[in-house]
Amino acid sequence: MKTLQIRQWGILLLTLVIGLSGCGGSASGDKKTEEGETVKIGILHSLSGTMAISEVSLKDVVLMAVDEINAKGGVLGKKIEPVIVDPASDWDLFAEKSKELLLDKKVSAVFGCWTSVSRKSVLPVFEENNGLLFYPVQYEGEECSTSVIYTGATPNQQLIPAAEYMMSEAGGGYKKFYLLGTDYVFPRTANKILKAFLLSKGVPKENIVEEYTPFHHQDYQTIVSKVKQFAAGGKACVLSTINGDSNVPFYKEFANQGLSAATCPIMAFSVAEDELRATDTEFLVGHLAAWNYFQSMESAENKKFVEDFRAFCKKNNLPGGDKRVTDDPICWAYTGVYLWAKAAEKAGSFEVSKVRPALYGLEFNSPDGLVKMDTKNHHLAKPVMIGEIKPDGQFDIIWKSNGLVNPEPWSKLTSPDKDCDHVGHGGTYTVASK
Amino acid sequence: MEKTKDFRLYGAFIVLFLVLLPLGNLFGIVSNNTISLWGRYFCFAIVALGVDLIWGYTGILSMCQAFFFCLGGYSVAMHIVMKGATASGADGTSIPDFMVWNQVESLPFFWAPFQSFGLAMILGLLIPAAFAFVFGYFIFRSRIKGVYMAIITQALALAMWLLFLRNETMLGGTNGLTDFKSLLGFSLASPNVKLGLYLLSLAGLCGTYFLSKKLVDSKFGKVLQAIRDSESRTSYTAYRVLDYKLAVFIVGALLAAFAGMLYAPQTGIITPGRMDVRASVEMVMWVALGGRGKLKGAIMGALIVNFLYSICTSLFPDSWLFILGFLFVITVLYFDKGFLGMIEIIGNKFRKKQITEKVSGRQVVES
Amino acid sequence: MNYIVKMWLGFCLCLFIGKQVSAQSDSTSFYVNEVLSPSNDSARTQAIKRLVSIRNPSTFPILSAINDKKIYMVDGKAVTTGEVEELADGSEIFPLFYLFPENKPVLDTDGKPKKTSEGSLKKVDISRSDRLSLNLILPYLNLANPEPKKRIVAYGQLLTSADDTKIKILSEALKLENDKEARTAGKEILFQLKLNEAVSENEARAYIDSLDSNWGENVTIILKEYSASGKLAGAKKYAAEKVEALEGLQSRIEKAQNLFSGLSLGSILILIALGLAIVYGLAGIINMAHGEFLMIGAYTTFCVQSLFIDTLGIKSDMFFFVSLPISFIVAGLFGLVLERLVIRHLYSRPLESLLATWGVSLIMVQTARSIFGDLTAVKAPSFLAGGWQVMPHLILPYNRLFIIVLTIVVVSLTYLMLYRSRLGIQIRAVTQNRSMSACLGVETRKVDAITFFLGSGLAGLAGCAMTLIGNVVPDMGQTYIVDSFLVVVTGGVGKIAGAILSGLGIGFLTKVLESFYEAVYGKVLILALIVVFLQFKPRGLFPDKGRIAED
Repeated sequence: MKTLQIRQWGILLLTLVIGLSGCGGSASGDKKTEEGETVKIGILHSLSGTMAISEVSLKDVVLMAVDEINAKGGVLGKKIEPVIVDPASDWDLFAEKSKELLLDKKVSAVFGCWTSVSRKSVLPVFEENNGLLFYPVQYEGEECSTSVIYTGATPNQQLIPAAEYMMSEAGGGYKKFYLLGTDYVFPRTANKILKAFLLSKGVPKENIVEEYTPFHHQDYQTIVSKVKQFAAGGKACVLSTINGDSNVPFYKEFANQGLSAATCPIMAFSVAEDELRATDTEFLVGHLAAWNYFQSMESAENKKFVEDFRAFCKKNNLPGGDKRVTDDPICWAYTGVYLWAKAAEKAGSFEVSKVRPALYGLEFNSPDGLVKMDTKNHHLAKPVMIGEIKPDGQFDIIWKSNGLVNPEPWSKLTSPDKDCDHVGHGGTYTVASK
Repeated sequence: MEKTKDFRLYGAFIVLFLVLLPLGNLFGIVSNNTISLWGRYFCFAIVALGVDLIWGYTGILSMCQAFFFCLGGYSVAMHIVMKGATASGADGTSIPDFMVWNQVESLPFFWAPFQSFGLAMILGLLIPAAFAFVFGYFIFRSRIKGVYMAIITQALALAMWLLFLRNETMLGGTNGLTDFKSLLGFSLASPNVKLGLYLLSLAGLCGTYFLSKKLVDSKFGKVLQAIRDSESRTSYTAYRVLDYKLAVFIVGALLAAFAGMLYAPQTGIITPGRMDVRASVEMVMWVALGGRGKLKGAIMGALIVNFLYSICTSLFPDSWLFILGFLFVITVLYFDKGFLGMIEIIGNKFRKKQITEKVSGRQVVES
Repeated sequence: MNYIVKMWLGFCLCLFIGKQVSAQSDSTSFYVNEVLSPSNDSARTQAIKRLVSIRNPSTFPILSAINDKKIYMVDGKAVTTGEVEELADGSEIFPLFYLFPENKPVLDTDGKPKKTSEGSLKKVDISRSDRLSLNLILPYLNLANPEPKKRIVAYGQLLTSADDTKIKILSEALKLENDKEARTAGKEILFQLKLNEAVSENEARAYIDSLDSNWGENVTIILKEYSASGKLAGAKKYAAEKVEALEGLQSRIEKAQNLFSGLSLGSILILIALGLAIVYGLAGIINMAHGEFLMIGAYTTFCVQSLFIDTLGIKSDMFFFVSLPISFIVAGLFGLVLERLVIRHLYSRPLESLLATWGVSLIMVQTARSIFGDLTAVKAPSFLAGGWQVMPHLILPYNRLFIIVLTIVVVSLTYLMLYRSRLGIQIRAVTQNRSMSACLGVETRKVDAITFFLGSGLAGLAGCAMTLIGNVVPDMGQTYIVDSFLVVVTGGVGKIAGAILSGLGIGFLTKVLESFYEAVYGKVLILALIVVFLQFKPRGLFPDKGRIAED
């Protein structure tokens, strides 16, 4: 009787240990990847919580890319098996989930993150465990991680061309700049770089104003009246890094206080089609935005991409259905999957240490046209565009860069002594001054 | 009977978490992720102990424990970040990297003490305790209790969360503090240090559990339960209710801060997202689900709910909120003693069956 | 038709400005052709620049069509679209107008005005830089623009124009001006121009006075500039005095605006807290899912709008009035279900009910997210757009006024219900002493259910009103919920008067503090103030007295 009890306890404990070490079981999952018909990738986008509004679309488009690749026979003869987890807009959970994807699920690559804080949260995990993260959103730069493939824009691929355009004859020759943003790392760094750029172009210090509001700020009365005073002399514009749900109240107040795109245009860096999809765009019409991709691009690849995405959303009964739109981060999330697939084909392996070098200099015909991975770091060279908001929430493309713009993870303006080179220097290095 | 059952439970707990999991990790059966996951759950369990003391034993529903938790977490994080600082400010002293993009030239005064590990530890406990003392004093003095207390503490959590989100607070704003490299010379990336932190958290949990048990079983604990059952009668019998409530509130805050200190290095990041209203309500939820008024229940609740949270967000990414939401509602509705109560009910039924079987068996033999 | 009239007015004006036309007409049509079908990109830019410098009035319609991005090609001729007309099937068609050499309607083969949809037209794309080069003569183009807003911009642009005749043009244009706001703006420019050219002190003073009484947007800036850099010493001093007086007035207006914002925030809080307070008073339950009933109300409004516009095809603002009662009922029904399934079991355990309703709120938010997906917004009814101009510079937005009125109506109805009806007596009886009322034959269960229905319905109504000022998102209930909890706590248990007073108090205080500190610090201060307040009134503004106050 007694021995039996001890054995029972033992069995119970053993089952518990196996249960606790995460479901799926790490050991068995290991073999499956090696021998099975599929290769696993992780999708790490918030499906609940505050960021779900933006990130769900990225999950959808990654799944679409996976479907397309699988329909063509997969990668290296293996079908892609997406592993979806929900980090629930909880930054700690981002770190936890990335650990789980890398260590327990043994995924070959992860596609995910939106906010800077979520990227910063998973960064050490990917570096420690030699993972590969495809990050699709424009970001503040000043980072050069071996483990992250940044398919979104660096500051020089979005901010500088936009500021240059506003100063040019064609853009309106604006002389005064109001830098307005939400209080977090991207706007802070973006404005630091913009300020350095404007000063270097001879804009006097008193013609640049910098201001920040908290997340989800709704009451823009005081700020807009400040902008109004600032713009009273003419030739002034706003460079806005205002994020998410604060935009609509800001543009509304802007129009209500009698300012317009003709007198003082707003150049936005965080307003894209997906955010404008269901909102009242009446107040935004005529203002500008800078991105690397717009849904309204005329190319055949893009038209197909937009149609496919709508069809995919409708087929899978996703909210919005065939009314869904594409935008810059969606385009880069999609491109990221293909870049990874191409690199794996080129390397002939899914191992991160082999895929990573295969990415350098890789070219891909994205919905945005031909884009090219940098030969030394993990960023994409791509075109820059400026669009004017139309009443239907789409953009009129009014300016396009001449060819591809090369990425600068360390801005030449604020960190002239630094550069990012994974081939020759293993990451960030200090440039020898001449 | 009760004692032996307890010892069996402790034994199983110790064997499982102190022997099997670490050994499994050393032999490569249990992944590092699992180890650090459970290390973090233990931290949550320590907070849950505090919540149980305040709520389960004294009947004060505090919804700002996550704030105290973060105060502890931030103090350790500040120390680690200071040690790992590579950038230098205008006056030559080294400042954390995040301040550079924030365009801060020199180290804010309140960061200076966190250069020393000892001071950081002391402040990490002292600040939450002082905060709990001042806030608690005013609240308990005006005899705010019940739902009122829950709402006021919730508002406190909200206000502090907003404050920590600001970049002007010099604590990293939304991004919080991250990029932890080493603590006291140990690299936080190495698996052995992770295992060490896991064991430390386990030891912390066991230690705080036995201290809390002592506290609960003492005369002090009895008074707390008296306050829970009838505050006015306790005060009529010449106990200074305010002092007792204040003391247990501070103990709860200390436990939360202590847990936060263990939590930050294992997670690798601490952000204001950890201290919003939701986080605090969740902490109360763990205790409610585990079984309030029982220390074991609190620990069990914290471990089980967090384990479920981890699993469900992976297995059912689209519907986990439904699952957890229903679990919360149903537990509160039908199992007001939580998981612990559930187990007891099932156990009792099982035992009754056994007894009746035994009895009937004997009857058969006898006849 | 209005468009054509305005165009003709523009013409008269243009003729007035115009230089000798005939000699240039040949080159004009050459450049117009070059604009419409350029030999290369730079040719178009050159041609537009030439047209701008020629300033031939006959080209103004085509130039302003270019500026408005409404230029199309039909049978090799440039046309623009007039005001939109809507067909029965919801598609839109536009009448067409030729632009050059004459501005006249396009006729079809029957001699009737030709109308077509925008999609069937071939658009002429003109680059932004070319459009911007029209800026030089934009003032003249836009002085006759049918939209007052464009005319205001046009007046403003005259200020920097180097044209000698601008004062004359401006006063001519102002004679035709019929919009009040635009006239004020135009007059301001006129007086400013005249002031800058004034040679005698009396003349300058007169213009300063006119500026002052006209009281346009930029009057303080103009007078300040003049007082700093004007030519006449006496007038400068006079301008400085005026500035001081105006600034005093301005700060008083700002205070009024602030008070209004406080009132508006307060009424939103009251609207949300009212239902919460009733339920709390009755059962001692704080419903953590209360914010989600607000969300349900907002989504109901959204659904009613889609039903009206997309399904029934009724493009009327009526949907908003229909959705007010519907959102009340829908949210109320959800509340009834919640009461039946969850709350009923928890009446004796308020703290547990707080946790259970929190679980419910998680479920509701996720349900909304999986049904509606993401950011949606209700288009505010057109009569609630804009604001009531009490006096120059003090505009009270209609949507906020509407919410204040709605709050007053709802509060009075609730008051009548509670204090002038049989149901009200029962609710109050149960609130005071549940078991005694049960003994006296009040069906407490039924009263509970009805109260919960009312409380949730009020939240739904608040949600419907909230669509006027914000987006509709799944977690919108969280924005104001902690604040409205505070309103209930500060007000006292289940007291309508308490909720009103504390709602207004917190609203005003928030806005006043916000104008001194940043919003965040304002919030921290409010909390501190409430804690201090509860030191003196631990049971809220209107505590229960007597035996029922005891535990």
